Amino acid sequence: MKKYFHGGIHPSDGSDKILSNQVPIRMYTPQSVEISMKQSPNGFCNAVVKVGDNVSKGDLIGIPRGFGAANIHASIGGTVTDIIKTKDNQGREFETVVIRSEENENAAKDLPDKEYEKKIVDITSFSRDEIIKKMDEGGLIGMGGAGFPTHIKYETKDEINYILINGAECEPYLTCDHMLMKEHGYAIINGVHLFIKAANAKKAYICIEDNKQDVAHELKKIISDKELPIEILILPTRYPQGGERQLTEAVLRKEVPAGSLPSAVGTIINNVGTAKALADIVLGGEPVISRVVTVTGKVKNPCNYLVPIGTRYSELIQESGGFTAEICRVIEGGPMTGNCIMIGKEPEKIMGSVAKNTSGLLVLEDFEKTESPCIRCGECERVCPAGLAPYKIDFAEIEGDINLCEKLYATECISCGSCSYVCPAKRELAYRITKAKNEIFRIRRERSGK
Amino acid sequence: MKLKFVERLHGVSPHITMDRSTKEIMQDVVIALTPAFLGSIYFFGINALILVLTAVTTCVLSEYVWQKIRREKLTVGDWSAVVTGMLLAFNVPATTPIWAVMVASVFAIIVVKQFFGGIGSNFANPALMGRALLLFLWPSTISGYVTTYHAGTDAISSATVLGLYKSGAQITEYSKWDMFIGNIPGCLGETSKLLLLIGFAYLCYRRVVNMAAAGAYILTVLLVTFIFSNEGLFQGDILTNLLSGGLILGACYMMTDYASVAPRVKVTLAVIAGLVTAGIRLWGKLPEGVSYGILVANCLSGLVDSIIKPHIYGVNVRKNKV
Repeated sequence: MKKYFHGGIHPSDGSDKILSNQVPIRMYTPQSVEISMKQSPNGFCNAVVKVGDNVSKGDLIGIPRGFGAANIHASIGGTVTDIIKTKDNQGREFETVVIRSEENENAAKDLPDKEYEKKIVDITSFSRDEIIKKMDEGGLIGMGGAGFPTHIKYETKDEINYILINGAECEPYLTCDHMLMKEHGYAIINGVHLFIKAANAKKAYICIEDNKQDVAHELKKIISDKELPIEILILPTRYPQGGERQLTEAVLRKEVPAGSLPSAVGTIINNVGTAKALADIVLGGEPVISRVVTVTGKVKNPCNYLVPIGTRYSELIQESGGFTAEICRVIEGGPMTGNCIMIGKEPEKIMGSVAKNTSGLLVLEDFEKTESPCIRCGECERVCPAGLAPYKIDFAEIEGDINLCEKLYATECISCGSCSYVCPAKRELAYRITKAKNEIFRIRRERSGK
Repeated sequence: MKLKFVERLHGVSPHITMDRSTKEIMQDVVIALTPAFLGSIYFFGINALILVLTAVTTCVLSEYVWQKIRREKLTVGDWSAVVTGMLLAFNVPATTPIWAVMVASVFAIIVVKQFFGGIGSNFANPALMGRALLLFLWPSTISGYVTTYHAGTDAISSATVLGLYKSGAQITEYSKWDMFIGNIPGCLGETSKLLLLIGFAYLCYRRVVNMAAAGAYILTVLLVTFIFSNEGLFQGDILTNLLSGGLILGACYMMTDYASVAPRVKVTLAVIAGLVTAGIRLWGKLPEGVSYGILVANCLSGLVDSIIKPHIYGVNVRKNKV
């Protein structure tokens, strides 16, 4: 039986993924990195180094300021040359640590042979608490995009039966998970095995969309005739398959109750990138200091890069050969949910650097966005994976009627952008619903605070 | 118009959108109506052409003039007024005076569409409201049904097949095949079921409309008229009911209308419209009930939409483990 979730769209024909999944992952190590102390949307850290300090690769440089953040480590060895204070778009202040390395690391580096990249290793020596502690120390957060600290997911008191490993990569253009599964299959399987141990789960499903059949068969080959409680599932290609709620619905045919985490129905969802990072932490002894980033779209050589955390976006674009379109729109993440970080002509002006949850850097040709009146075709309602009526919430938000937004369950929006994608009137439904959702949460927080 | 055009957002996600706009949808509907339009010229002659062109021009002009006077953003370019004009002309017989079509068009666009907020905000189908206006104020203007050119003689006035059927007369003049291809007296666009269905197939292929609502409407009407027919229980003439009136035109192009039929509950509303239509056909004074049936569904649209609650992901779901 095919596994489906409610709603969803087919945003592309697959030609966008071919841009970047034909060449192997390239290594790129910059001379200097800018490590932001805000690695995920709501996770802030405090820097524990000062300007002038010498750090070596893997040293702890940031500790969590509160719930929702994880440790940050130096991704290259060198000297801390600067600590910049910046504010995000919501006005919250955080620091950015700049590290410059002395020697040219790129040239003289032989990768040591890692055992866990070549075969399934025995993990019986690790206890559950030990693995969770290592997740915490290694600064492991969700590498798929949300960036929620993984150890918090595993410290749940709920009984966990199944682990779902998200290899769906439903966003168009991005191929970093695909390439990771292709080149680091053993590390991922070992990581998944560690996840099962950490949650004391019965079984893990690695969920892969059917546009990545090749890696699904590779992974199947790896686990065949070994007695691992892991199964590879091939799901029909559909956006937003990779949303944790949608994945739970598609695989386990079960809805996660509103306002709770998937652990409420006995499951935890992790990205394949997180599984690889866990194997690196526990089996390789290296904290999260690098990740694979897809650089694609209107650049000369679209490719996947293995880069240290903190690599500047401008350098990555230059490494890929620069823009090929006149005026470009640079997007951090995928085309459906990513943030636009620059619209312009010069790649040098791009701000920001790779964070632990940056899955891609996408360059698209800039286009004009104009909205026209809603014609009530109902497409948004049909594709909404949460079952909302986006056009009604859109009207309510424009009218400023936040109570009506709440009655229409704007809080259940997962901000996937499917509604804006299908809208023939090109209305920015997802943007306004997300705005309404954040406003409702802000009001609720204020009320509970008083 | 604060509600319709707000601040310009340039850099917000998603950064890709589907390759389809309001204008393209409306153009698709016009393309789908074109076979039936050409058919109406073939069956009813130059009058059909004049009426359709009058209706379309009046609709587009009145929308343009209204928006110019009100200094609103012009939406004439989206072709929706063209669709309204064509459907309006399709709903009147060939003998309708030109002035009547013009009045109906102005009423449809200005009162039914623009008074309620323009495209997407009309509470009922503008074309049907235009027809209803004529039926109320000047019933004689749109009751002069004539035979087609190809029925053997010159155009002479004649009752519609549905009218004959209702009065209990035997229908010997027209074969079922005539009814299907459109060689019968009736409104301009409703007679040729073949050409309407060709257009509808195109709309379904382009995924502009969903077949479910049209199907539910037709099935309800046929089922009810079959069970409670004038000849006795379970004696109704299914094919005559299906092919003689405006059932197919209404089901394919008006029941599937976007704004006036709430999208999520389209099928429920189609069943309601079907019951009303069948009721009028069986027990009403008029022989035909399609336009009123659909207008009733239009008026109930908001109510039904609020009564039938959607299922929201994760709301009212019990917490139990898998």
